[in-house]
Amino acid sequence: MPERRPIQKILVANRGEIAVRILRTCREMGIRTVAVFSDADRGALHVRLADEAVHVGAGPARESYLLPERILAAADRTGADAIHPGYGFLSERADFNRACRAAGLTYIGPLPESQEAMGVKTSARRRMQGAGVPVVPGSDGPIADEAAAVAEAERIGFPVMLKAAAGGGGKGMKRCDRAADFPKLWQAARRESASAFGDDRIYLEKFLDGPRHVEVQVFADEHGNVVHMGERECSVQRRHQKIVEESPSPVVDEPLRAAMGKVAVEAARAVGYVGAGTVELLVDASRNFFFLEMNTRLQVEHPVTEMVTGIDLVRLQIEVARGGRVPAQDEIVRRGHAVEVRLYAEDPARGFLPSPGKITYLRIPGGPGLRDDSGIYAGWVVPSHYDPMLCRLVAWAPTRPQAIDRMLRALAEVHVHGIATNVHYLRAVLDHPAFRSGAYDTGFCTAFAKELLKPPDPALEPIALIAAAVAAHRRDHERAGEFATRAHAPGSTWASAGRTRAMRGEA
Amino acid sequence: MSAGTYVALLDGGKREESLRVERIAPGLYEVTLRGVTHRVDAFRQDHGTVSLLVGTESYSVQLDERGNGVRVHLRDSVFPVEILDERRARMRRPPGKLTAEGRVALTARVPGRVVGILRPPGEAVREDEGVLVIESMGMENEVKSPKDGKVAEIGVEVGQSVECGALLAIVD
Repeated sequence: MPERRPIQKILVANRGEIAVRILRTCREMGIRTVAVFSDADRGALHVRLADEAVHVGAGPARESYLLPERILAAADRTGADAIHPGYGFLSERADFNRACRAAGLTYIGPLPESQEAMGVKTSARRRMQGAGVPVVPGSDGPIADEAAAVAEAERIGFPVMLKAAAGGGGKGMKRCDRAADFPKLWQAARRESASAFGDDRIYLEKFLDGPRHVEVQVFADEHGNVVHMGERECSVQRRHQKIVEESPSPVVDEPLRAAMGKVAVEAARAVGYVGAGTVELLVDASRNFFFLEMNTRLQVEHPVTEMVTGIDLVRLQIEVARGGRVPAQDEIVRRGHAVEVRLYAEDPARGFLPSPGKITYLRIPGGPGLRDDSGIYAGWVVPSHYDPMLCRLVAWAPTRPQAIDRMLRALAEVHVHGIATNVHYLRAVLDHPAFRSGAYDTGFCTAFAKELLKPPDPALEPIALIAAAVAAHRRDHERAGEFATRAHAPGSTWASAGRTRAMRGEA
Repeated sequence: MSAGTYVALLDGGKREESLRVERIAPGLYEVTLRGVTHRVDAFRQDHGTVSLLVGTESYSVQLDERGNGVRVHLRDSVFPVEILDERRARMRRPPGKLTAEGRVALTARVPGRVVGILRPPGEAVREDEGVLVIESMGMENEVKSPKDGKVAEIGVEVGQSVECGALLAIVD
């Protein structure tokens, strides 16, 4: 069957590592690309890697990346015929999706109706309940005001989760343990949600103690085929931000995988889904699972699925958007184990404060079985306006223990100077006995907070001091050489001899 | 051949160590620390990396220079150090004790945007309670009071962008 929608030029309505990730597949497919950038991102890597780039506004996202009219104007100006929204920003906004289609563009993602059905997390919960899928107890819909919200929280029973009706990714998500804390968290959740999604509606869910967060990748085409690609384990979270993900999940066996996959496929079918989607589930200690939400877009952690299935999900998204078909369920074969870590610009030693600024030195490792998806380079100034994720590293190996050891090896070779990162924290997570055993839940980072923040090893202190002192001595030495050189008249033999010596570092 | 004596300030100046560095050949040093002399082969590979051989043990050391100090990354440890030559170290007065008494200025520890004022001027505040909220990289961070007292001044408005180190408020 001929392709019904030829896609020749894609505008990537995003920034940072996900924009780079999408641009790379477009390049491999021979599709021309358009990047968009804010004032803060003129120097960003995604601008450099695209064929064309259009400025769309000021640094704060709501004055650039979150303005549909600017993105559409950029598409119009460059003659792009398709839009890839990535994740975050406008990726779950049905109005944007609709506006793209109205402008004659192919939107690489589901229909706006499916986004609305799932995008408002509360109507998704109702719909899933109707389809017989178990959901976590919570409020029926977004809650209008603070007083009503407190009353609802009392009804559900503390602790409760405050969640953004419009989005995910930990933005606008707060855990509230008692009524006294409620007003402050309510306001903070609304502000964060408004700033991240342009929508401040909040709903409540009962907080389940010690659950695992497992999600299922689904893919659907417009010919009625829906498949799943197995699960991703995402229970290692800090402040509701995922930091380590893996596939397969240590807790999921083949019967459970089949059961979860069936529910995920049903959920996608229930909303007439097309494209890549993720069904998030909470799994309790007895391995019962509850529907949490469906994300109608690509996920940050999609590469672990790519590594174990060998499928390029971005390529498949584009092929499905062109009118193509997804592979049959039995053609999707999983092999080995993949672990992903998210390298963040944050300082664990200072309470994980964000650490934007200039990267003065950068080394990202290679070696067997390793993948780096990053949006940074040495010399790049990490802006304070956006998410602190710098890069995503993924390790693949035939077995889980080997994949963990491979990632530990790789992280030891990561060097980022100028800003602080969570690299040592990530190593502590992967090397922790609870993580290695596979018996961990979403409480992992809180339960082992102290052990994961290791103080510097005193046995290494002498070596560190020796290195710093030798470097200082060497620098003093080079300076002395420079002064000697300057003392002589320019052009004299002595001066050039001194300069040569200084350059060789022998002064 | 040259030699120098250095003072390394650790833990923000609370601790110090003295090191004698003697260069005996290009790239070869004898470094004396805590009464032990180590023979060190140092090879600077690039901007931030020094390969050290101490005996046959190989250490890849990362030196991340920041203002006056340097963050030394070695295996899973990071050591923030300030290295001074002996003469400069002697000229420096011992660092004064930091106390949260009297008027204390609250400054921004990250660049970002002021999104909330929790304690307006005149209101009492307890130690570790939030005074303002700064949003940076999509997450909100509370700026907390280091002491019990009263908010004397707020120097910023909601919505304002602030640089790292900007004066936000004064607690009296």
